Amino acid sequence: MNRAIRVMIIDDEESARKLMRAAIDWESLGMEVVGEAASGIEAINIIDDLRPDIAFVDISMPFMDGIEFTEVATGRYPNLIIIIMTAIDKFEYARKCVSLPVFDYMLKPMVRAEVTPVLERAAEKLKREKDYWEEQKENEEPHSGESDTDLITRYLEENFTDKELNLAFIAQHFGFSASYLSRKFKQDTGKKFVEYLTDLRMKKAMEIAKGGVKMYQAAAEVGIPDPNYFSRCFKKYTGMSYSDYVAEHTK
Amino acid sequence: MKTFGKNVILLFMKTNTSNKKTISLSLRLQRLIFGIVFVVTVTFLISVYLITAKERRDYEIRESERVLRTLSNNIVSDIDSYREISRLIMTEDRLVSFLRADVNQVDISMINDARYGIMDILNVTEGVDTVMVFREDMIMLSTNRFTYVYDYDLMQKDSWRGYIYDAKGSAVVSLNSNGVAHKLGNKPMVTIGRAIYDIDTQQRTGLMLMNISARVFEKMLGDLRYNDICIMGTDGSFIAGNRKLAPYYESSFVSKGITHKDIAIEGERSLLSGCRVSNMPIVIMKTSSYGNEGVPFTAINVMIFMLVIFIILAFYTGSFISRNVTDPVFELSSAMDKNRSSGDLKKIDVKVNSSEFEMLEGDYNNMIDHVNDLIDRLMEKEKTLQRAEMRVLQEQIKPHFLYNSIETIGFMALDAGADKVHDALETMGSFYRNFLSKGGREIPFSREISIVKDYLSLQKLRYGDIIEDEYDIPAEAEYFIVPKLILQPLVENSIYHGIRLKGEKGMISISAYVDEIEGEEYPERELHIVVKDTGVGMDQDKIDKILSAEEKDRPQEADESFGLWGTIQRIRMYTGKKDCVKIESEQGEYTRIEITIGAK
Repeated sequence: MNRAIRVMIIDDEESARKLMRAAIDWESLGMEVVGEAASGIEAINIIDDLRPDIAFVDISMPFMDGIEFTEVATGRYPNLIIIIMTAIDKFEYARKCVSLPVFDYMLKPMVRAEVTPVLERAAEKLKREKDYWEEQKENEEPHSGESDTDLITRYLEENFTDKELNLAFIAQHFGFSASYLSRKFKQDTGKKFVEYLTDLRMKKAMEIAKGGVKMYQAAAEVGIPDPNYFSRCFKKYTGMSYSDYVAEHTK
Repeated sequence: MKTFGKNVILLFMKTNTSNKKTISLSLRLQRLIFGIVFVVTVTFLISVYLITAKERRDYEIRESERVLRTLSNNIVSDIDSYREISRLIMTEDRLVSFLRADVNQVDISMINDARYGIMDILNVTEGVDTVMVFREDMIMLSTNRFTYVYDYDLMQKDSWRGYIYDAKGSAVVSLNSNGVAHKLGNKPMVTIGRAIYDIDTQQRTGLMLMNISARVFEKMLGDLRYNDICIMGTDGSFIAGNRKLAPYYESSFVSKGITHKDIAIEGERSLLSGCRVSNMPIVIMKTSSYGNEGVPFTAINVMIFMLVIFIILAFYTGSFISRNVTDPVFELSSAMDKNRSSGDLKKIDVKVNSSEFEMLEGDYNNMIDHVNDLIDRLMEKEKTLQRAEMRVLQEQIKPHFLYNSIETIGFMALDAGADKVHDALETMGSFYRNFLSKGGREIPFSREISIVKDYLSLQKLRYGDIIEDEYDIPAEAEYFIVPKLILQPLVENSIYHGIRLKGEKGMISISAYVDEIEGEEYPERELHIVVKDTGVGMDQDKIDKILSAEEKDRPQEADESFGLWGTIQRIRMYTGKKDCVKIESEQGEYTRIEITIGAK
């Protein structure tokens, strides 16, 4: 693998994300931070776009905690290096992490002198291996007709409220490689998979909003139980905040 | 029976010392049984006494009556024989001549003839003292005229002979010649009087008195070997026998039947029986002292046997009740008391032999269960409360809040270009994370070193101009397991009580080395940790105090050496050796503390 190693930071503390981004000399490690997520939910939604090699995961996050995320992610991205980063020194957490394929378990506050050697080890491991994401592209399946995409879109329409739904899951479910599915899906629908899924959810959310339902309830109902991430998605989609939207549509 | 008695003593002690309002059951039982036994015994003794007395008296009465009847019969038959003699005398020719003779014809020779005639008859008999014959004209003769004194005045009166005449020829028994003649010496005489009628004319011709000597009765009594009998006249005069009885004569004996009365002769209780002999003016009295004859020994033995059985039964009942009622109560009580005094509420297990006590024991045990249950619940409640309080305390500490804050401020510093602030915060974060970390109380020496390094680098931010530090830790020492937080208090002591007091730049050197010593089976490894500072040092007195393991030398918590003393104590506890810490110092020059920890 010859490209820069892609790092994703998943932590509900913005300052923790920013600190990590700022404090560590990523360049000299041959790495770049490709994105952040403020919750496990958000991470699930954007991870297919970010395609990270390493994920720093905080444990105590609302809606989907680090353990839960790790459980989902290790099934879908077997090569992803997960480094747990927690401020809470609880034996119970450590015990759960040991049973999961976690690369390392670190305690906050972050100390560069501790993190850097771990990242160096991770880089070494990644360099020894083949590029996972490239491999995914290479393993594209032959074209097998339009009906696949139809099936997938129908499946999405029926299951979009599942908070764990994402590209990798669908790919696994229908027996494609993720990159193939991504490309084919855009070809067939004109939309990226994530956009398509989010659009479905937002349409539903707008309907719900007309009923004057509270945002966190609407968020949970459409499969984005993290109201902060939901709020951002909603604004991006409708151009206005959920509360404004509700106010406008319930007069 | 043994415990019964013991309990009673115990109870007496108890009741004597405590107030006497409550008397124990066993004491009351004891009193009841003793009371019953006492009453029964007394009743028994009285009954035995009364029955014995009555039986003895009855026996003596029977005996006396038998004797008296016999004697009475003997006397009567004796007197009868004298009557016969008097009849013979009456028909004696010479006496008849004397009686028939005209007054003028009577002369001394005629009288003597008549006397001889009588005496001829009397010759064949004994006991007749004298026979007196009076003619109607009161000319008289006597067979023994010289030992008598006559009352001639009385002789002329009718009073002494009227009742003899009334008998119309039958013999009448009287006493002492009816008063007309007195034997010299007043010797008692029994007199048989008889009117004399002429055989041919059937005219009364005279009167005869025959005195029978008392010797006759004496002889009779002697022959029969009676010495407790007294023969009295109905006039109270003594006739024969035991003269001691004479004063006890009473007219009540002059009755037909036999009369009995109790008297005391010379202090001895005796039965006195008396009766009149036929129609004669004679009373026989007999005494008998009460002997053992007549005592109903068989009946008494049976009664004693029954009494003994009763007493045994009474005491057996007492001991039975004691064994089955009071003893179990005592045992239960002492078991409960032991339970109480031990403070440990256990179920009691006392061997009781009746279901009632089992019930009581069961109830008590149930109560113990219930009480223990209540205590457990109370304790559980208390624990829950304590845990809740602990949780609140822990929540208040919330290290992750501290850590997140450190990261937030760290980013702010970084963002503002203050890299040094970020560095310091990072060190502080690292220090606190290690310092506050939960989990093992024993950590690798390397972690202990990193805590001290963080600590010193933070302290150097404050006292960077006076503190320098250096480390010499071989790799083999890093994996040694040591008790957590043993170095930091030493270093803290070096700074505050060594270097800072000196006012010039000081050096804290932390070094370690591992050596092998002879073990019991194989060589053992030891870690030596040396903390040396170039501070003011300490005097031997202070060193001794710090190294003292005595609780009395424990410094106050506010004391400057408290942290050091406590740390040394912890190391001692971990190693189990008292000399695991050595302090060397030269005042004004240095302090060197060496800790030796064996591999575990």
